[in-house]
Parts: sequence; C-alpha cells; structure tokens
Amino acid sequence: MTGNIILKNARVYDPTNKIDGEIMDISMSDGKIVDRFEGKAREIDVKGRVVMAGGVDMHSHIVGSKLGFGRSMCPEDHRKDPVPKTKATRGGVGYTMPNSYVIGYRYSAMGYTTAIEPALPALKGLGSWEELEDVPNLDSGLLPLFCNSMITFNYVKEKDISGLAGYIAWILRKVGGLGVKVVCPGGTYAWAHGSNIRELDTEVPDWGITPREIIRGLCQATEALGLPHMMHLHPLNLGRVGNVKTTIEHLDAIKDIKGHNGRKHICHLTHMSFETLAMHEDEKAKPDWKWVSSGGLEFAEYVNKNDHFTVDMGQITFGPATTMTGDGPFQYTLYQMTKNKWANICVDVEMPGGAGVVPYYFDPKSPANAVQWTIPLEFALSVNDVWRVIMTTDHPNAGPFTKYPLVISWLMSKKQRDTWMEKLHKFATERSTLKDIDREWNLYEIAISTRAAPAKIMGLPNKGHLGVGADADVTVYDLDPNKVNLADDPERIIKVFGQSYLTFMRGQQVAKKGIVGKTPHGKVWSVHAELNDSLWNRINKELEDMMNRWYAHSFHNYPVPERYREHMEKAILVDSTGVAA
Amino acid sequence: MNQETQVLDHIVCPFCGCLCDDIRLEVKGNQITSNELGCAISKAKFLSHHEDRITPTIRKNGTHVEVSLNEAIERAVEILAAAKRPLVYGLSSTENDAHREAYKIAETTGGVVDNTSSVCHGPTILGVQESGEAAGSLAEVKHRADTVIYWGSNPQFAHPRHISRYVRVEGEYIKDPKADRRIWVFDIRKTITANMADEFVKIAPGKDLELIGALRARVRGHPLEVDEVAGLSMKQLTEIVEALKATKYGILFFGLGLTQSTGRHRNIDAAIRLVQDLNSFGKWNMMPMRGHFNVAGANKTSTWQTGYPFAVDYARGYPRYQPGEYTSVDVLSRGEADAMLNIAADPAAHFPRQAVKHMATIPVINIDPKRNMTSLIAEVNIPAALAGIECDGAAARMDGLPLYLKKVIDPPDGVLPDRDVLRMIHDKLKKVVG
Repeated sequence: MTGNIILKNARVYDPTNKIDGEIMDISMSDGKIVDRFEGKAREIDVKGRVVMAGGVDMHSHIVGSKLGFGRSMCPEDHRKDPVPKTKATRGGVGYTMPNSYVIGYRYSAMGYTTAIEPALPALKGLGSWEELEDVPNLDSGLLPLFCNSMITFNYVKEKDISGLAGYIAWILRKVGGLGVKVVCPGGTYAWAHGSNIRELDTEVPDWGITPREIIRGLCQATEALGLPHMMHLHPLNLGRVGNVKTTIEHLDAIKDIKGHNGRKHICHLTHMSFETLAMHEDEKAKPDWKWVSSGGLEFAEYVNKNDHFTVDMGQITFGPATTMTGDGPFQYTLYQMTKNKWANICVDVEMPGGAGVVPYYFDPKSPANAVQWTIPLEFALSVNDVWRVIMTTDHPNAGPFTKYPLVISWLMSKKQRDTWMEKLHKFATERSTLKDIDREWNLYEIAISTRAAPAKIMGLPNKGHLGVGADADVTVYDLDPNKVNLADDPERIIKVFGQSYLTFMRGQQVAKKGIVGKTPHGKVWSVHAELNDSLWNRINKELEDMMNRWYAHSFHNYPVPERYREHMEKAILVDSTGVAA
Repeated sequence: MNQETQVLDHIVCPFCGCLCDDIRLEVKGNQITSNELGCAISKAKFLSHHEDRITPTIRKNGTHVEVSLNEAIERAVEILAAAKRPLVYGLSSTENDAHREAYKIAETTGGVVDNTSSVCHGPTILGVQESGEAAGSLAEVKHRADTVIYWGSNPQFAHPRHISRYVRVEGEYIKDPKADRRIWVFDIRKTITANMADEFVKIAPGKDLELIGALRARVRGHPLEVDEVAGLSMKQLTEIVEALKATKYGILFFGLGLTQSTGRHRNIDAAIRLVQDLNSFGKWNMMPMRGHFNVAGANKTSTWQTGYPFAVDYARGYPRYQPGEYTSVDVLSRGEADAMLNIAADPAAHFPRQAVKHMATIPVINIDPKRNMTSLIAEVNIPAALAGIECDGAAARMDGLPLYLKKVIDPPDGVLPDRDVLRMIHDKLKKVVG
C-alpha cells in the first residue's frame, strides 16, 4: 500500500465540505484522506498552492467500439501528435483520439483522476473492459445504452416497469455498468429503417410506442431501482436549429417522476450545447443553420425554474474534433452536410440502430460554430446553481479533453471571452447575449463543476472531495490565488490547469509538473442492484428468450466474464429488492 | 482424470470470422469426442487439435534440435535483443491478451508490429480511412436484410455457416428467408455460393472497380454512353441498379476477391461510396468477410494500444503507421527486417516469394500450436496452446462483436498460451534492452 503523505500549507477548494480557499494540511494514508495516521509521513510543503480533489470527468468517450472505429478510420489525426515512450510510460499518439495509455497519462497530467465512458453498447461490454485494462491513472465507469433496445421496447410496450428495472439490473451486473444511458430514444432504432424520430410523440417503427414512453419508463425504472446515477439523457433532435424546444419538452415529460428516496434530480442532460439551439427571431426564420441563435439563456432560465435535473456543457473548443454518438441518424445528417468520411456502426446499440463517427472541424469563422460556442458559456454563466452545471467537451465530440484549460479560461475570464469573440464570426455577438455577461467563475465554482458536482451526480461518494474517508485523489495546482488575478491573465489559467503541479491517485503521486511518473491502474465503478429472487428468476428466463431470438449470439455468451473485471471492478451495492416482481 | 463424458454448450468456434457460438462439444477425459452443430472445418479444428503439434526446437547446424521451453525462450530473447529491425507478425489466430504482449515486445525492441490483415483486408482498412464505412451487424442482417450481396467472396467454402446462421434463416422482420430476401453473388466465376444464390452476376476479371463506378454513376442518375461494363450489358446493369435502389435494407458482404484483386483499396473505397450513396434510397451497410477467427480483434487491439490498426513501427519510440512501408511483406521484401517473431500465422506459406526468401536469411522465432511452413524454416519454434480450445481469451467476430473463447481441455504438458510465452520473452527482454 501507499505510504503516508501530508501536504502542508495547502490552499484547499473543497466545495463538498464547504472549504473555500482555506490554508490547511491534507493527510493521506493507505489511499484515503485521513485526519491522522500513525508512523512517519512524507511531508510536502505546497506553499499556499491551490489544492483540489482529483478532477472527475463524467462524460468522456475513452473506450469502446465507436472510439476504436474513429481511431482506425483517422490515422491522419494521430500523426500530428506522436507521444514517445519514457521510462515510466508507454509510447502512443494523442490529438483528438489518443490511444488508451495516452488518455490516462494526459488526464493525469492535468490533475484528473476519474473519467466515465458514457456510451457502452452493452453487448460489446467485453471489449470495453479489455480496453480499460490499458487505460492507466484513471478510475472509470461505463454507462450502458438502453434506449433503442428491443428488450426495453418490449417492456415499455407491456407497461412493465418492474421488467424494465430487472433488465437494467441484469445488464449492469452482467456487463459491469454504472448507470443508464439514453441516446436519441427510438430515433436510433428508426435508423435501422433509414429514418429518424425528432418528436417525443412520434411512434417508433415496428413497435407502436413513443420516445415519451421510453424515457418515462427508463427514468421510472432507474428511480425504482434507486441507482446512484440518474438517467443520463441525450435527447432527440440533436444538432437541429430550434431544438431547445424539444429538449425542454423531454425534461417536462419526466418532471413529475418521483426521485428515489425523495432525491431531487432524476435526470442528467448531457452535452447541452448540441441540444439548446434556438431559432433567430425573424419572420422568415426556418430551422436551418442560417437562422441559428443561442438557446443558452433560455435554457438557463428553464434550469433556474426547474430543479429535477443536472446538465453538462459539451463546450465547443474550435479546431479539430471527432464526432461519435449512438445517434446514427444525426451522424448521417452531419455526413451529408460536411461530406467528411462517415462511419456507421449498427451492432452498437443493442440489436438495431447505429452509432456513427464523423470527423469535424469547428471553425471560428463559421457562423453556426460561432453561435454554438456561445451557447454553453452563456448558459453556464447564467445558471444560479453551479452544482448543476458540469464542464465537459463531450470528448472528442466538441473537442478533446485536453482543451479543458481553455474552457476554464472562458468561464473564469471575461477578458478571455472578449478576446475570442473578436476572432469569431459576428453571429457570436449578434445571436447570443454572451458579450453582455460579466460573470466570471471563481476557483470554488471551478472546483464544483470539475470534481465535486460530477462525483455527486455519478453517485461516487468517495470521489470529488477531500473529506476524511475520501479516496486520496488530490491535485495541487501551481498557483497562489493571492498573488495573481486570474481573470486578468487567461494565459495563466490555461497554464495552471493544463499541467498540475502534483497529481495523487489513491495516495500515490502519479504526476509532477505535467510529467507522469507512475502508472497505477484505477478502479472501474459499477452498480450491483440486488433484486428479489422472483424478479431475478423471471428476468433471466425472459432475457434468455428475447436475446436468443433477437441477437446473433447466445444469451449465455452475453455476460463479461469475471476474469476481465474482478481485478478492477468496484461494485456499488444497491438494495433493489423492493422492486415488485 | 474424469473419464465421464461431459457435454459443453454455447462454445465459440475459433476458426473463421463467424465465431459461431452455438457449438456443442462432448469431452471425455482430456479429449474432445464430438462437435455438434459445427461445420466441417470446425469439426476438424476441435477434433484434431492434438495432431501435428510442435515442440520447442532451436536450429543448430541446419537441423532442428529439441530443447526445453526455457532454452527456446532464451534463444528468442537473444535474437530479439540483437536485432536492429525486428518484425513482429501474425496475431490473427490467437486471442486478444496475446496481442498486448506482442505490442510490448515491438515497443521495447523498437520494431515493427503487423497482423495478417496486411495481406487480407488491409485494403479494406485503407478504403475506410479514405471514406468511412457504413458497417453492418450480423443480427441486423438476420432480422432485416431483404438484399444480401456477396462480392468476391465464397462463404460456402470459407465461412460455411455464414449463410445458414445469418442469411437463409428466419428473422424478426424477414419471416420467409427465401421469399423475403434475395441473395446476390458478384464474382468472376460461378462458385458454389453462386449456385445457391438467387442472382449471379459474372464480372470480367479485374473489372470490379469499373463495375462499382458504373453502378454508382447509375444510382446517382448519371447516363453512361457505353454498351457494356465489366462484361455486363447495360440492360443487366440497369436491372441491378433498380434492385439496389428498391432495397429496404441491404448488406454488402465482400471478400478477398474484391480487396486483393486489381484496384485493391480503390475497389473498397468505391464500394464504400456506393453503399453510402445507397443510403439515400434505403438502409445499406457493408461487412468484410474476415477470415482468421480473430483478425478483426487484431485490428481492434492494435488500434486502442498503438492508435493504428496494422503496419505499426516503433523505431522512434512511438507508433507510426505506414501501410506499404511498415507492412510485413514490404519490410521483408526490402530486406529490412533482421529478425522476425511470428505468432499464430504461417507467413512462409502465404507471403510472396521475395518476402519468404528474405525470411529464410534471418532468424525467425515461430510461436504456434502446430507444424506449418514457417515452423520448417524457423530458427526457434515455441509451441503454444490453441486459443479457444486449450486456453481462454477474447476475440472479435467479423462485425466487431467481442466473444469470450472458453478453455475446453488442457493443452499438452508444458505447453502455455501465447500470452504467457510472449510475456516471458518480454520480461527477459526488458532486463537485457531496458
């Protein structure tokens, strides 16, 4: 086990424990934060530098078949960013889709210690576990997709919430998943027919059910089970001008669902920048890109009035990105628009449907991209409760995670936003209120949005904070906030958050000044929802029948074998025996 | 030892890219006595697994001398440590964990690592890198496809259960696989698969690219002022185009007849574009008919661990990719490799003469369960357990679905899985070369 370490004179930002820049000592022993320990300790005087819990990225595509497809399809991407091996680290490639090792190293060098893969096609779970074996320096977790599976549809059609809950519990246990992901519910299934669904009440082909019933069913089942993480939602109608309306309709549709044990939040809406496009007010306006405007403010007002969900940004960062989603029809539309190369992967979303991958370049001179850039910033700077706003880039969709320091600089510095706005197409100022927003996030708010809140939303109580008993994932940033006004010095923000001064993972120092020195393997968090015997037996029987009928491989070969999991998996036990059979 | 007959169900067959996972085996003692449901190839693979095995040997004065496993490994380490440009090759007939160790060896020695796709579906990957790919899944084909095309592929020989498991079978939305689904074969000769297909299109040899280009033009509505294309009349061409456009859900399966004939990756690029264009009319996908049971897995593991699917060079301490330069046949034909580590493949049997000629001049370390052409010219032979029979592991089906291969019986005494042999080599190498 790791030895004792004490960080002296740390300026601590730990919002979970309401610590806002106090000077204190942080002690680590045996991989945990402790208040005291026995024996000797390595003392590190950090001299008033900023100390936070290790960063938690709750939405980043770090493993899985669509990422593999993107990597394989785009060698030109990696070529620009070779990463030589060192004594401590393997060689690899970087850029928008780093290889698995480099993903771990680069997060670690920035002070992140946890990253969640938010789109697992459950039937390809084995492949993702194999990949996680090669992602060092990070704790992780996988969110299986449930939204376009015929098994989900079957239970929704039967109005059988217990059956749906049983199916979710079975999948989470058998493939090692952490929560429920929903992508373009019903729309991706329609893609097997070459079509899409954009409205909540359009019937899903072959099934006679609607996306409204699907999201309500999955949300109810998630709450019935009491899963730590709420339904993680990518709604219909992604990337369409005026879709802020559709997104609000989704959230209204589940508003009445009671949270488990009275919890407030029953949904996490992901990468809002793609889902809150408004339409410019003009009598000629139509839902095409010419008429796009920011829906960030409108959506912030909705968030401020409605308390049943949380949001991550999916901030566009300009430059190259690789779009990859389980939203096959959207990816096809993007391909038709850009004529870039296009991959479709149809086994990805259970049986039918299709993920897609399209490389994309976010261009500052593009009117649409300029407006898209303003949306999440306008939103984040207008929301009252920062605990509900998570900083992400939906890596690598809106840009790689290595652009986080830049995003932080936009959030913390009006000066930086103004500088960038000058470089952008004029729509950035004409079709958004961002230029009029003076708010600047402080370090406490950054700590909320990049570690405390995402850990809480993901249901990982040992992550994202520095209280006694937390995992000793700790980041020291090379900054004494008393000596510099960050808002006036955006380049400094980028530097500080680009390379941590020190990163500790479970009490072990893994990186120093951006150089990775140790490469321990993190844990993969999953949920084991215990069902009562009669529901468990019923589900096994029904799933055997449905999987053998609808899949092209056996029910018996569906689970990810223990040998690929047991040395990494950390299952959170949930008592769901109360769900009726 | 347990002499009672045990019945094992849902076994995955480690032969071709179909990875049929419904095999029923009977095992008595340490012997497989029957294989139900498997094709003829599958039966031979399981029932004859113990035949033609190799033992550890080192070549001394021109002959193979039997040695211990440790001696063979020591010699392999000596060779790799002394090599300036080692080539690590194969991997497609073993499981994914072995791949990981092979990439480590390539990185530690600064060598090239490549898998067999560089001589089979490498051009497919190049085509995808040019244009993307609407990739299909076998489940979706089974349930939805009303048009199935095999192009330059003869599954009745190479993937014997492909048609019976996924195509000529009832699906959820294809109730009568004969009436509701049409099978087309495009080939230069009337193959056994063509005989059972609904439609056979005979293409003039070497004219695939021309035909795909013409189909694409006609699908897009461009007129063609010629009398024939690739040996087909314009009337035939129009009939094909109309059938493609009328399809609700189509799948293009393609084999080495398309990837390795004149045009190579250009054929695939054109086919990808055709399928992408057809998505304006119906739903269309495509799928390479992968041969070795885990060649798809070799591309996947290489991609997540090195960034690239094959043809990877670690000479500079980081992975670089250049098909045509770091592909095995090229590295050998140029006389560049000064040692070769071959794992679960038989390059001496399959590579062009010039490449094999160079192999005969350099020390070859061969890790394989069985005797083959490469074992005959190898400097060092190290036996390995058969993945999916004598050891477990993971592999990827031709549509990318990962499946877990089970260990059914014990390997011969002292014989280890590829991954263990490679790990032993790497551990020792690390001590020598750092």
